[in-house]
Amino acid sequence: MKAIKIFTIAALILSLGACKKGFLDVEPITTVTEENFYKTPKDAYTALVGCYDGMQIVWTEGVSLPVAAEVMSDNAFGGTGNSDGFGYQMLDEFDKSRSPADQDLFGGNWVLYYKALFRCNTLIAKMDQIQWGTDAQLRKTYESEARYIRAYLLFDMVRLWGNIPLITVPTSENIPQSNPEAVYKQIAEDLKFASENMLVTSYTAQPVAEHGRATKYASEALLGRVYLFYTGYYAKTDLAGVVTKPQALAYLEDVITNGGYGLVENFANLWPAASPTTYAGEDNKETVFAIKYTYTSDYNGNRDGNYWMVMTGMREFSFAPYGNGWGGQTVNPKLWNAYASTDTRRSASIISIAGENIPFTNQKGQREYTGYYGKKYSPMLGADGKPLPDTYGNPNFQIAQFQDYVVIRYADVLLMAAELGSPNAQTYFDRVRQRAYLSAFTPLALTTDNLFQERRLEFALEGIRYYDLLRQGVPKAAQTIAESVSLLNGGAPVTKTISAGNITTTQGLQQIPYTQITLSNGTLKQNAGW
Amino acid sequence: MNGMKKYLNINRNSAFLLLFLTLLSFSEALFAQQRQISGKVTSADGPLPGAVVKIKGKSGGTGTNNDGAFVLSAQTGDILVISSIGYKTKEVPVSTGNTVNVVLADDNQNLDEVVVVGYGVQQKKLVTGATVQVKGETLQKQSTTNALQGLQGQSPGVQITSTSGQPGEGLKVTIRGLGTIGNSGPLYVVDGVLTGDITYLNSADIESIDVLKDAASAAIYGSQAANGVILVTTRTGKRGQSGQITFDAYAGVQNVPKKIDMLNSQQYASIMNEAAINGGKQPIFTNGQIAALGEGTNWMDQMFTDNALTQNYALGASGASEASVYSLGLSYTGQAGVVGGKSLSNYERYNFRINTEHNFYKDIIKIGQHLTYSDIQTNGIGVGNIYNNTLRGAFNTSPFVPVYDANGNFFDNSGSSWFPGEANPYALMVLTNQNKRTTQRLLGDIYMVIEPIKGLKFRTSLGMDYNNADSRSFTPLYQLSTYAFTSTTKASQSMDKGKSFIFDNLLSYQFKVKNDHAFEVLAGSSAYQADGSSIFGTNTNLIFNDLDHAWLTNATNKDGTGINIGGRPIPSDRRMSYFGRINYNYKEKYLLNATFRADGSSRFSAANRWGYFPSISAGWVATNEKFLEGQKGWLDFLKVRASWGQVGNQNIPAFQYLAPVNLAYTNYTFGDKEGALIPGAYQSRISNPNIKWETSEQANIGFDANLLKSKLTINFDWYNKTTKDWLLSAPILATAGADAPFINGGNVENKGVELAVTYRSNIGDFNYSVGVNGAYNKNKVVNIPTADQTIHGGTGVLYDNSLEFYRAQSGFPIGYFWGLKSAGIFQNEAEVQNYRSAAGKVIQPTALPGDARFTDINGDGVIDNNDRTMVGNPNPDYTFGITLSGDYKGFDFSVVASGVAGNDIVQSYRNQTSQFSNYTTAVLDRWHGEGTSNTVPRVTETPVSYATFSDLYIQKGDFLRISNITLGYDLGKIFKKSYLKQVRLYAAALNVYTFTKYNGMDPEIGYGGLPSTNSNGESIVQDAYASGIDVGYYPRPRTFMFGANFKF
Repeated sequence: MKAIKIFTIAALILSLGACKKGFLDVEPITTVTEENFYKTPKDAYTALVGCYDGMQIVWTEGVSLPVAAEVMSDNAFGGTGNSDGFGYQMLDEFDKSRSPADQDLFGGNWVLYYKALFRCNTLIAKMDQIQWGTDAQLRKTYESEARYIRAYLLFDMVRLWGNIPLITVPTSENIPQSNPEAVYKQIAEDLKFASENMLVTSYTAQPVAEHGRATKYASEALLGRVYLFYTGYYAKTDLAGVVTKPQALAYLEDVITNGGYGLVENFANLWPAASPTTYAGEDNKETVFAIKYTYTSDYNGNRDGNYWMVMTGMREFSFAPYGNGWGGQTVNPKLWNAYASTDTRRSASIISIAGENIPFTNQKGQREYTGYYGKKYSPMLGADGKPLPDTYGNPNFQIAQFQDYVVIRYADVLLMAAELGSPNAQTYFDRVRQRAYLSAFTPLALTTDNLFQERRLEFALEGIRYYDLLRQGVPKAAQTIAESVSLLNGGAPVTKTISAGNITTTQGLQQIPYTQITLSNGTLKQNAGW
Repeated sequence: MNGMKKYLNINRNSAFLLLFLTLLSFSEALFAQQRQISGKVTSADGPLPGAVVKIKGKSGGTGTNNDGAFVLSAQTGDILVISSIGYKTKEVPVSTGNTVNVVLADDNQNLDEVVVVGYGVQQKKLVTGATVQVKGETLQKQSTTNALQGLQGQSPGVQITSTSGQPGEGLKVTIRGLGTIGNSGPLYVVDGVLTGDITYLNSADIESIDVLKDAASAAIYGSQAANGVILVTTRTGKRGQSGQITFDAYAGVQNVPKKIDMLNSQQYASIMNEAAINGGKQPIFTNGQIAALGEGTNWMDQMFTDNALTQNYALGASGASEASVYSLGLSYTGQAGVVGGKSLSNYERYNFRINTEHNFYKDIIKIGQHLTYSDIQTNGIGVGNIYNNTLRGAFNTSPFVPVYDANGNFFDNSGSSWFPGEANPYALMVLTNQNKRTTQRLLGDIYMVIEPIKGLKFRTSLGMDYNNADSRSFTPLYQLSTYAFTSTTKASQSMDKGKSFIFDNLLSYQFKVKNDHAFEVLAGSSAYQADGSSIFGTNTNLIFNDLDHAWLTNATNKDGTGINIGGRPIPSDRRMSYFGRINYNYKEKYLLNATFRADGSSRFSAANRWGYFPSISAGWVATNEKFLEGQKGWLDFLKVRASWGQVGNQNIPAFQYLAPVNLAYTNYTFGDKEGALIPGAYQSRISNPNIKWETSEQANIGFDANLLKSKLTINFDWYNKTTKDWLLSAPILATAGADAPFINGGNVENKGVELAVTYRSNIGDFNYSVGVNGAYNKNKVVNIPTADQTIHGGTGVLYDNSLEFYRAQSGFPIGYFWGLKSAGIFQNEAEVQNYRSAAGKVIQPTALPGDARFTDINGDGVIDNNDRTMVGNPNPDYTFGITLSGDYKGFDFSVVASGVAGNDIVQSYRNQTSQFSNYTTAVLDRWHGEGTSNTVPRVTETPVSYATFSDLYIQKGDFLRISNITLGYDLGKIFKKSYLKQVRLYAAALNVYTFTKYNGMDPEIGYGGLPSTNSNGESIVQDAYASGIDVGYYPRPRTFMFGANFKF
């Protein structure tokens, strides 16, 4: 009997855990989950900011497109430190054998672009499940912004790599590369949707606190750029069946007529390093769209800064107001020489070591030294002689630069409209040139050659030139970029050769990261020449 | 050694004091009609020291001295109970005489020895699973800081590899081959408390370690036992034992046994010249410049410290009273690192242990507790992958960089005309490793056993594993190169704590039916809950400039950018388990054991929460059969056993079945205010709601035999282990856009045999034993459910931006090395041109003489990924150990050796993407003209022959290491003091010599995957299955030491 009693009591104790219902049910405390997010307009806004953040960080690893695009063009060389690896030379010369171990040069970017794309795709896919309430416009605005960002990302990717898997809904499948036309069709549709569904708010009417958000006019301006590149590079007559030439022009004219933008009076005032005291400021009236950066980056996970400006700076040398950098974009003397001496854009765009009497002494540390560095995105020193981010208490000058990347300026909109045959073409062209030459302005007839030359001078070192070359056809681009020139590597002269053949073979595209090709088990195909 | 002497004196004094107190308490008893009984206890081998003599039914008792003699007060009619481990207990009544001499019979071949099994103990002769037991004393004799290290070479089928030579670093334990892709470490159970790590224990506190290798043994721990179970029993007092105090001490010095040779300045300059010339450039240095260079800095000499101290002191006391048994321990262990020395790499540990058990109501109730407290202080340098590896910096820095400048400060290389980007690695080590971590750990339980009727037991226990760690680090101002600099001082502080409770209830009943049928049934439940939290902070601009003052309060910065704070809970981890076991034997001849366990885990969604783990095993003791009875003498014992079982694994981070939305570090700014961050969010990981238990299924057949009057023992096992539905986070395509989910990945098979043979005998007074054990294991991945049947390895492992080179793929060993096969070096241009495919295509048209020739495996005339194949296997085919020991009169000696064979090592010390990285002297054998080498390619500025992974990186990893030689002498035989049972002095050498062809510093590479942090800030280890990768490894020191053991 005793044993039975004990057994009963013991059995009760043994099954103690089972009585505690829910013992095994635990909830995450510090993370929200997908099931309980994407419900309210506030969630949607937070997710939308996540999309902007995704776009902001695509160049925090790998090679930054604004720098790479200049290196690939005839504006600049790969540079970097004389004892560094040869990745930037490989990029500059479209030559795999320059740095055979760099098989993933753009690997980090590929990953981050697709992560940013995933954020947009997720938000767009959740639109229907969000309880929008009575504000009918809100959904349209958020969806338009997400689609704008998606289009922006895809456009970067398809220009850099040419052949990319097109992903518009979240998926883990092994997706093969798409026909570029399909990608451009998606870009065009996204931008068209955005320009049709966003609020009609001009720059002047937009609250200052909302500067930086994608707008109807940013979408229209980007659509113009996409149209020009696609129809040029692929020799097509319209943008993947979505936008015709007259429509593209109409979008640009809308920006000019109703956008509320204008040219900053003095070209130099667009660039902090060219106008330390008279800088027009970020989000000025010429900024149609910019990727915004701020100084809060650190090595703990905050990636809010401009990670690529440090590449453009003078190699390990500073001279007020110019901060030190890694010399990863040495400016081709050809660019300096392309400007007339009366052109205010020359000194606003380029640091000339000799011209500004800079006592630069680090030729030894610089590869492919030319005597010229970029000024538009040059790191700067603060009043105390320390790198500018130190002013905000941030000692990480490599990642905490905070100058915004101006993606589309109003001047570009004017020149694109002129290129597309606006009735006011010559006027638009003159407005841009008048600002550049000020009192030294003399009229110039608008021809295709003059237009491209003017674009080169106006947008030098802004990441635009390379694609302006490509859209004139790969052979033209290859001929223009190819050169054999003597440069200083660590102070010693070397002959630098960029062969037209490499650009033709690769069609001006870059390497698909090998890691992704391996992961795809061969589903992804490498671009020719890589 | 002075310190040690001091300890000795103190202890001798306290021993006297204790003896005195004992005598005092005895004097009370003299008032009864007591008289002194003296006697001698002997066995077949002679006098038996340490035997326990007590009076039945009374408290107190005594032990025999070295001559087996004892003195005890008793009265006529008392019954003396004489016992000693390994002998049969004997009872002798006290008659009128004053002398009682006793001869104890051998306890049949140690077979009544018990081994620890899950939730209980079992007689060794009746065990039907594959287990191995190593006694604490054996471990202690290895004089290792970490008890597990002492297991090396002592347990067949258990591969133990140091993850680093840094003091206090863990060990990688693989039981019966790598069976999973995630965390492959076994489950540790210390006195019934489940834990993941036992580095906190001192070997002196350990009674025994039992390794449960097969599924049938481990299945009672179902949920966590997929990688085997290691049961640790800490020392406890024993009923009837007389009080005993022990003191053990050792101290020694450690040195690096083998340094890698890097190029000196002249050699380096010549090689750089040659690389420039090979790249079509002018030589960089003239012959005159090279001649003037001298040796330059030998970074290896800078990084390593000579004669780093290691020491250990352990005080123990144990004994028993009528109602209670107790065991106490107090110990200190200190080990300085051979890289950087005590200030940079150090480990110190204090351990306190109290284990007691008390009897109530005539043994019906027993209440006891185990409690170990450890206080550990560590600091360390970076060990691990290429990005956090202090030694690797030294491999890659040129000998041109001086250590100090003219003022005696660390040299700032920013102005170097050679390579301003390279930094003094010694200075980096000193400046950036200013950290201190203290960990407090409390592990133990309180239990109660009720045994109302004989054989029926109810045991309940509440166990706890609590740990608290706080770390601080200090970053000073420095500028060492253009890339290595700081512009503010920085202090970081963090604190983590975690605790787990485990509530176990067991009911067992042991009974016999008709005397021949012995049963033991057990049913139990176990509830487990673990929680914790962490908090951290960083701030800049300190008032003081040293680690001692590096506290957040001393930081003056008020800007948000210099401040980083955070705090989070460790997700609650819970399990509920029910289990049962039946043991049956018929006349100890036919043995049967069956277990079943059901586990519910909070790590899986409600639908996949429960896992069920059965096992069955059987044994046949052939020597208990009548027909073998006549064979005793040559075949004393033979047991054949077989088992089958399933066990599980749930080692994945919490909430993998959900898709987290990440808010951390997700910000953007709109408007004109710099620094005004607007929070954003995104889904950071793809969810897998179907994630479920990983299962490991194993069959085992083996036998245990004792032959030649038990002089020869043989244990043999064959096993076949299949792990199914691995839990793993396989790299996914970037196009998925989020972190990879954990999936149930596939199957891996491990098949092998294990054999252990021990021979014990004597020649006169010389007793000796020779043990050899070995295991063969074959590992094969059977099925991976992804489209390409492959789990791809990580990138950036060998050098910056290096690509995948190991993977898990169906049909191959896990983590095999995937690369090109080389076939010599092109000696001249004609060889390049003549190397053509069948179709006549020049296979390597861009190759130059001196480049490696790669095999075009698919014959398509192009060298690419399709020509990559298995070029190496990191998993050893054989692991083995040898133990020799002997004693002669007071002398004892032992030798332990262990090794592996059949594995390959990938070595990558050089950062291939940096043209100015230094080389090891192996490069001196390079190709530099026709006929100069057919194995080492020419040097180039960019890594032409090394850009794609190939067998050029691979070396054989076989080694045999003499890991321990100890020689001791027991002075107790000279002193002959009754209170002094043992005074053994010994000298030992650890890691004495390694026989290997591997040219790195140490062939035992405990590569542990890629530790990283996912976008939710959780630490994860990627590719934990990867092994055999040497990217610069903190080598194991060679130690010479002296020690002493005292028993009072």
